[in-house]
Amino acid sequence: MLLVQILVNGVLLGGLYGLMGLGMALVWGVLNVVNLAHGALIMLGGYLTYYLFTGLGIDPFVALPIAALGMFVIGYCLQRFILNLIVRSAMLNTLLITFGLSVVITYLAQLLFSADFRTINPTYSGANFAVAGITIPVVSLAAFVIAFVLAGAVWWLLNEMTIGRAIRATAQNLTAARLYGVDPRNIYALTFGIGAALAGVAGGLFGILTHLTPYVGATLTAKSFVIAIIGGLSNPFKVILGGIVIGVAEQLASLYLGPTYIDVISFGLLVVVLVVRPARSLRAA
Amino acid sequence: MIRLAIILVGAAILACLPFFTGAVFMQFAINALILAVLTQSWNIIGGFTGYVSFGNSTFYGLGIYGTAVAMVKFSLPFAVGLGCGAVLAVLAALLIGIPILRLRGPYFAIATLGLAAATGALVSTIDLAGANTGLVLPLVRADTMFYELALGLLLVCTLTVLWIATSRFGAGLVAIREDEDAAATMGVNTTAYKVIALMMSAFFTAIAGGIYAYWISFIDPSSAFDPTLNVRMVIMAVFGGPGTVLGPLAGSFILSAVYEVLSSWISTAAALLFGIVIVLAVIFTPRGIADVLVGVRRHGWRYLTRNIRENRL
Amino acid sequence: MKTSALLATVAFALAASGGTATAADNVVKLGASVQLTGTNANTGRYYQDAYRLTVDKINDAGGIKIGDKTYKLQLDILDNQSDVNLSVRQYVQLLKSDNVDFLLGPFASNFALNDSSVAEKYQVPMVQGGGASGQIYSRGYKYIFGTLPPADDYFASTIDMLGKVDPTPKTVALVAADDSFDVSVAEGTRKHIKDAGMKLVLDKQFRDGGGEFSSILSQIKSSDVDAVLWTGHETDALNFIRQAKSLNVNPKDFYSFTVGVPTADFRQALGKDANYAFGMTSWLPNESLKDKWFGDAKSFADAYQKKYGYAPDYHAASGAADVETFAYALEKAGSTKPDAVRDAIAKSDFDSLYAHVKYGENGQIDLPQIVVQIQDGKLVPVYTDHMLNKPQYPIPAWGKR
Repeated sequence: MLLVQILVNGVLLGGLYGLMGLGMALVWGVLNVVNLAHGALIMLGGYLTYYLFTGLGIDPFVALPIAALGMFVIGYCLQRFILNLIVRSAMLNTLLITFGLSVVITYLAQLLFSADFRTINPTYSGANFAVAGITIPVVSLAAFVIAFVLAGAVWWLLNEMTIGRAIRATAQNLTAARLYGVDPRNIYALTFGIGAALAGVAGGLFGILTHLTPYVGATLTAKSFVIAIIGGLSNPFKVILGGIVIGVAEQLASLYLGPTYIDVISFGLLVVVLVVRPARSLRAA
Repeated sequence: MIRLAIILVGAAILACLPFFTGAVFMQFAINALILAVLTQSWNIIGGFTGYVSFGNSTFYGLGIYGTAVAMVKFSLPFAVGLGCGAVLAVLAALLIGIPILRLRGPYFAIATLGLAAATGALVSTIDLAGANTGLVLPLVRADTMFYELALGLLLVCTLTVLWIATSRFGAGLVAIREDEDAAATMGVNTTAYKVIALMMSAFFTAIAGGIYAYWISFIDPSSAFDPTLNVRMVIMAVFGGPGTVLGPLAGSFILSAVYEVLSSWISTAAALLFGIVIVLAVIFTPRGIADVLVGVRRHGWRYLTRNIRENRL
Repeated sequence: MKTSALLATVAFALAASGGTATAADNVVKLGASVQLTGTNANTGRYYQDAYRLTVDKINDAGGIKIGDKTYKLQLDILDNQSDVNLSVRQYVQLLKSDNVDFLLGPFASNFALNDSSVAEKYQVPMVQGGGASGQIYSRGYKYIFGTLPPADDYFASTIDMLGKVDPTPKTVALVAADDSFDVSVAEGTRKHIKDAGMKLVLDKQFRDGGGEFSSILSQIKSSDVDAVLWTGHETDALNFIRQAKSLNVNPKDFYSFTVGVPTADFRQALGKDANYAFGMTSWLPNESLKDKWFGDAKSFADAYQKKYGYAPDYHAASGAADVETFAYALEKAGSTKPDAVRDAIAKSDFDSLYAHVKYGENGQIDLPQIVVQIQDGKLVPVYTDHMLNKPQYPIPAWGKR
C-alpha cells in the first residue's frame, strides 16, 4: 500500500517536473541553447500567477494562461533583443549569458517582490480524494493533466501547424529556412517565448503546490535540465515521461535510501542515460 | 619568454604586497588567489582540452575534506593533510575521468554537472568526515602564510599551464579540442591525454581546497561541494580567455575585484550588477579579454560591434 | 593585460588600506554583516532591524556611560548576500578598515561558525543571536557569546508537555533537515524521546530546502504515529503542512515544528491551515519581560512593528539582547578595551526584553523553549515547565476542522 501511494506521488509530481523540462527541451532542441535562466523564468511565472491571484483575485488556474501570455512576451523580448545577438557563438557563451540573465532576473525579483516566501493558496489547495486507499491530491492531479495537455499542444504545434514546421525547419537548417522566406530571428524569439510560457505555467503550478522565493530558480533549472536529457529533446511526451522517471526515482530513493541520496540517484540516472544512449540522438528535432 | 617574465615579475610584486597592505586586503587577496588557482586549473581541462567541466568543485571539496579529516581526525600536520586531499582528488579524477571523458562536447559538461552535489551528499553520510555537521579546524593567525602559500600555488599552477602551452603534451590537448578524431588518427592517445589533463586540474584544485579549509577553519558539505563555485571558475576563465596562459588570471583578478568593489560600495545591488557585467561581457567580448587586446589593436573599437555582427542571427 | 590587472589590484590595495582615520571620540562602533539579500534575507532582516532599533533607543536615552564619559553607539551593517565567504571578509573589513570596536552576529549557525573565527582571531568579542548550533561554542573560543539556546534542547519542553497531556503519545516520528543545526536538534531530540519513554518509530532526514515531503508523509501515514516532531527551516515547514493536507496525512494527536509557527509570515502564507500547529519560541512579546530601555518586551514589539511594518519574533528579540549585552558590559567594564569588555560580557547578568541574560561557561545562554500553538489564527503560549494556556489537543484530522 505504502509503495503504491509513493509511486502515485512520484508519478503526479513527475508530471509537473516534466512540464518544467518541456520548455527547456524545446529551446535546447530548436535553438541549441541550454537555458540556465529557465528556472528563473519558472520563478517569474509563479510570481505572476501569485499577483494575479492575490492582487486581482483571479483563480490561479484561470490566471495560468494569463501568466503564460505574460511570460511569452518576456521570453520573446529576451531572445529577440539579447540572446539573438550571440546565439551563433560557442555553446559555452550561451551558457554564460543565460546564467548572467538568471542572476539578473533573480535579483530584480528580489527588489520587486522582496525575499519573503509566498504561496498561492486557493481554498481548494489541500483538497484530495481517495481511490482504494490511495490519497490523490486534486491540485497535483490537475498539474499532471495540464502537463500532458501542454505536451500535446506542443506536439501539435510542431507537427501540424505551419509555424511549427517553420520552427523545425529552422532547427535543422538555418540557411534553408531563410531560403523558404522564414525569418529565423522571429522564429527563434517565438520558440523561446513558447519555452518561457511553458515555464510560466510550470511556475504557477509550482507556486500552488509548494512555495515561491526569488531564489527557487537555480534548483529548478538543474532539475529541468536533467529531465530534458533523460526525456530527450525530440518528443514532448517523452519529456513528460522523463519527468515521471525522475519523480518516481526521487520518491523511491527517499523511501528506501533516504532523501540525502536523491542527488546521487538523479546524477546516476543522468550519466547512465548519457553513456547508454548514443549522444547524437539527443538533439533531433 | 615574455609570458614567463610577466609571470615571474608579477609574482614577485604580489609576494611583497603583504608588507604594504592591511588585513582587509589580505582577506580579499587570499580569496582572489584561491579563485585564480581554481580558474587556472579549470583552464587545463576546460580551456586547453575543450572539455567544459562542471565537476571541478568535486575536486575542491575532496581537497578540503582530505585536508580537514587528516588534520582533525588523525592530527596530521597541514602539509600531510594537503597531500591527502590532493591524492584523494587525483584518484577521483582518474576513476571519474575514465568513463565520463568518453562523452564528447556538451555531454561531458552535462555529465559533470551533478557530480559535486552527489559527492557532497555522499560525504554528508560519512561519520569520519563529520557527516552533515562539518568539521572545525584549529584556528591560526597567519594570513600572510596563507597568502604566500596561495600565491606560490598559483605560480606553480601557472608555470605548469605555461609548460602545457608550449609542450607537445599541450599541443596534443589542443588537437583534442580542435578535432578529437583527427587527433586520434595523428597518433595522440586521446584517452590518456584527457585523463591526465583532468588529473592535473584536480591536483591544483584540491591543494587550493586544502589551503582554504585551514584558512577558513570551519567546513561543511554544502560549502565544500558548492556547484556555484564551479560556475564562477568557468565564468572567470571564459571572461579572461580560455586556453590562454594569462587570460584566466586576468579574468579571475578583474572579476574578483569587480565583485568585491560592488559588494562593498553598493552592497545590495552588487549581485544584480554582476549579472549585467556577465551578460555584457558575453555580448561584446565573447572570446575573453585576452582576445580584446589583440582585436582592438587590429580593428579598433569596432572590434566590439564586430563580435555582435559575427554571432548574431 | 597583466599589468592593468596589477594596477587595479594595487589601486584596490591602497584604497583598502587607506581608511585608517580613527573614529570620532565618544562613540562606540558596533559592526555586523547580515543577510539582507540572497536566500537567508527573509530572516536576516530581523537582525538588521533589531540592531538598528535598539541602538537608536539606547542613544535616544542618552547613550551609555563608560567611566565618567558618555558614549553614543554607532552601528555599521554590511550585506553579506547570504554568502559565507563574503561575510567572513566583511567582518575583517569591519574590524580592520571600518574600525569597528565590537561585533554583532549574522543569522544562521553556519555563518556564525565561520564569522566567530574572525572575532577569535582578532580577539574582539562578538555577541550573536543568530546561531544555536552547539559547535559554535564547543571550540574553546573565548570571544564568542550567543543568545540563542542550545539546539539539542529545542524539543525538551515539548516532550515534557506531551507527558502531561491526555492521551499521551506513545509513538513518535522525527523528521529533520540535514543541515548542521537541525542534525544537532535531532540528536538531542532522540535522547529526550528515549528518556520520556516514547517510541521513535520513524526517524527520517530530508534535504534542507528540498521542499518535497510526499514520500515521508506517506510513510508517516502508513506507520500511524501519534506525534510528529519536525525540525528544519521555515519554507520546508510550510511545504510539509501543505503537502500533509493534500495527502490527508493526520498524525493521531500532535505535530510540532522548531521554526515557522511563531512568525507572522508563516501564518499568513498558510491561512487556516496553520491552525493547531504547535511550535516553539525562546521569546514572546510579554509585559513580564522588563527592559531598561524599552520598558518591556511588549513595548519593544510595538515599537518594532510601528517602525518596520512587521512583527518581531525571537530572532529580533535575540538581536536586541545582543546590543544590550554590549551596553551593559561597556558600562560595567568602564572601558572600551576588548579584553575588559569580554570579561564583563562573560559576567553579564541582567533582565531584558528578550530574557534574563546570563552566559554559560562556553558563552551560550540557556533558555527554556516556550511551546506555542496557533489557535484560530493567533499565537498562543501553551507550556514552559507548566501549562500556560490550554492546548487544543489532540489536533483534529484535516477533514474534521
